[in-house]
Amino acid sequence: MKIAFELNGTPVEVETDPANMALSVLRGECGITSVRGTCGIGLCGTCTMIVDGKTTASCLMPVGALAGRRVETVDVLNEDDPVIDAFIEANAVQCGFCIPAMVLTVRKLLEDNPKPTDDEIDMALAGNICRCGCYAKIRDAVHLAAAKGNPA
Amino acid sequence: MKDPRITGRQKYVIDAAVEGMLHGRILRSVYPSARITSIDTSMVPEDVVVLTPQDVAGLHHYGCQIADQTVLPQDQVRFVGDPVLAVAAESVAAAEEALLMIDVEYEELPGVFDAVSATAPDAPLVHDRHKISENDAAYFGIRPVDGTNICHRFRLIQGDIEAGFAGADVIVEETFTTAGAAHVSMEPHAALASWDDGRLKMVTGNQTPFNLRGDLATIFGMKPEDIQVICPPMGGSFGAKTFVRIEGIAAALARKADRPVRIILDRAEEFQTLNRHPSTIRVKIGARSDGALLAKEVHCLADTGAYADCGPGVAQKMGFASPGPYRIPHVRVESNSVYTNLPPNGAYRGYGQMQSIWASERTMDLLAGKLGIDPLELRLKNLLREGDAYCTGEVMHDVAFEECLRDAAAAIGYEPGQPGLGVSVLMKGMQTPSFASIRVRAKPGGRYHIDCATVEMGQGSRKALATMAADLLGCAVGDIDIPAPDTDVSPPDTRTTSSRSTHMMGRALEVAVANLKDSDTGEGFGEIRENGGLDPDTGQGIASSHWHQGAAGARVSVDEETGAVTVEHVHAAVYAGRVVVRKQAELQNEGSMIMGYGTAMFESLDILDGAIGNPNLSDYNVPSIADLPKLTHSLIEREGGDVHGLGETALPPVPAAIGNALQSLGLTLRDLPMTPERVLAAVDEATDRTEDAA
Ligand code: FES
Ligand code: FES
Repeated sequence: MKIAFELNGTPVEVETDPANMALSVLRGECGITSVRGTCGIGLCGTCTMIVDGKTTASCLMPVGALAGRRVETVDVLNEDDPVIDAFIEANAVQCGFCIPAMVLTVRKLLEDNPKPTDDEIDMALAGNICRCGCYAKIRDAVHLAAAKGNPA
Repeated sequence: MKDPRITGRQKYVIDAAVEGMLHGRILRSVYPSARITSIDTSMVPEDVVVLTPQDVAGLHHYGCQIADQTVLPQDQVRFVGDPVLAVAAESVAAAEEALLMIDVEYEELPGVFDAVSATAPDAPLVHDRHKISENDAAYFGIRPVDGTNICHRFRLIQGDIEAGFAGADVIVEETFTTAGAAHVSMEPHAALASWDDGRLKMVTGNQTPFNLRGDLATIFGMKPEDIQVICPPMGGSFGAKTFVRIEGIAAALARKADRPVRIILDRAEEFQTLNRHPSTIRVKIGARSDGALLAKEVHCLADTGAYADCGPGVAQKMGFASPGPYRIPHVRVESNSVYTNLPPNGAYRGYGQMQSIWASERTMDLLAGKLGIDPLELRLKNLLREGDAYCTGEVMHDVAFEECLRDAAAAIGYEPGQPGLGVSVLMKGMQTPSFASIRVRAKPGGRYHIDCATVEMGQGSRKALATMAADLLGCAVGDIDIPAPDTDVSPPDTRTTSSRSTHMMGRALEVAVANLKDSDTGEGFGEIRENGGLDPDTGQGIASSHWHQGAAGARVSVDEETGAVTVEHVHAAVYAGRVVVRKQAELQNEGSMIMGYGTAMFESLDILDGAIGNPNLSDYNVPSIADLPKLTHSLIEREGGDVHGLGETALPPVPAAIGNALQSLGLTLRDLPMTPERVLAAVDEATDRTEDAA
């Protein structure tokens, strides 16, 4: 079956079983490797995508449910996005496997709440696991990004 | 281009793909111990390639230290999750469907599920014999005990233990345990194998490219030079991706299919692939009434699971560091690596040190209580200092235990007698003997190209090396290329483990750069070799060419109704000698402490009917950003100090510091993790003690 949706601002149409998970279609047919799976049950956050403005676990959403919707991954961001720069400045990265999803989640958080407190940051990122343990520097990055403000 | 790890452009092994590639999946045993009586694959579609035990019957046994594994088990499976066979198909879904069409029959056999029962006299044997591997990871005298489940027994003896205890005024004897734990590296194990004209190419996430090449050569009876191992950056490892994991199966599948095959494990399989050794450690320590330590006896059982992997090495390290950084005249240690019918346990950030420090440092506080001496003071009185001999006979140099301990104590506001505070100190060996080599080439335009086998898994070693190289060469970090390790090109290296890369490879680099400056070929080569090693029967020799040193302090409070522990603050002090890239070094400390906190408070592999009962991230919790207490740390530097590896040092002392903080509240915790149930039991025990005294 053909599923049509908007991916990072571009309309796409993929031929696939609608029951397949969005994660495998994004990574496979759509070639988006910044979205990564690791738990498969909605608990680690590495597979985060934004659907119509809401952070969503792509490992739990059948791709059929994306039909007609707006899907965004970290690739939608400009490389000069303040969140990306803030992560670089704060050195908030080790292996990097979890980071694109963190960046995306932080971008969303700052859109809703431009000056989050530590507790609000923790709440927003509680579903994003970083096994390397970059949490302290990720918190720094969020504050830095907040200070930089939203991209023009 | 911005840092690809942040923009999402970074490619991992899970992203590696080649034309014509098939997808491999593994069928795993559902019994912990069983004989395979029949395998029926007749329903599998023809375009699916099936690799059966029979297909690999002609391949050789392997194992980095004990040659106890075959690519697929012949006749007998030894744990729930032991691979029985594998398939390769055009898609993952087709491979998974094929697995459902295969019928395997088993005849169950008795099994053993913990190291204590596995060492009982009548325990069923997981392996009938223990053949020592010829791989160079079997670098020390491995001492299997025939006719038992013990695949290595390490001993360390100094002085006369009986005489030591006879002279002691106070003796404490306790048994401690630690639970198994999962690495949970975010990227699962992944490997892509392809054959070309009899040559094997293996793209894999692995910390030990040269050991892997050697093991694959053993398996297939090939020359190591005919195998190319390429290790792109990994999405974490923490010890999980060491030696042969899924590479043997991927290679055999690809050879049978005559097409490239990629295998990516799912999260449940990760829990069946490699974990951390559960341990049972008995410590007996004796001191004079003034606090001087006289004698210490340690007995360790490290459950290595169904295959030894590097379990002998882990048991050895657990053993030789267990006396701790103290002057003790009479010491006896016995440390055993024990087979059970559980998934294999192997390298895990800190390599046996967390376990022995938990037992040893908890014992110090019990001893302090009995002596009526403050725990910090008791430690300071007995600490090893510059020029002291450790119980292995080696003389300690560049010693900083006292600085670490005082820093940790000060950071948490330690006051003698004040409840809720605890400290611990650690000494941790580095891989010894050890070898590293590296090549630097000058390129046009003032650029440099560096070949070395240090792998990147997030620890930042390659960044540290590039920084050091830029410094030595007088260029910008951006002028240096260090491609991913490739055994066809990279000069050999022992492996990227035990926090050795910055220390070893860094010094090899200094030699290479000097060599480059002296030569007119535009190429420089450097190598560093550290000799040493211990006699496995006496523990005498050089355990570690240099020691990682650190300490931790913790401040806690407890709700005695619910057993909930509030960890208010943990501080780790790590001796860095000289810091190369500060932010990177900080990340290593922070990450280690977070893992140490998980280990202390909740991470535990539960064994249910002989299987891991919680093989998913819902039932096996890892720390999230919202779970963390206040964590601080320091990197202790010293003028003229060695560059010390930092990847693991801040993990092992954390659980013991928290346990000791609970001890200061009168709660004796012996088992990790310190769950609310265990804390409540400690509250009851304390209440009973008070009532008995009344
Ligand atoms: S893979 Fe989707 S949340 Fe973990
Ligand atoms: S940076 Fe490795 S998991 Fe977050």
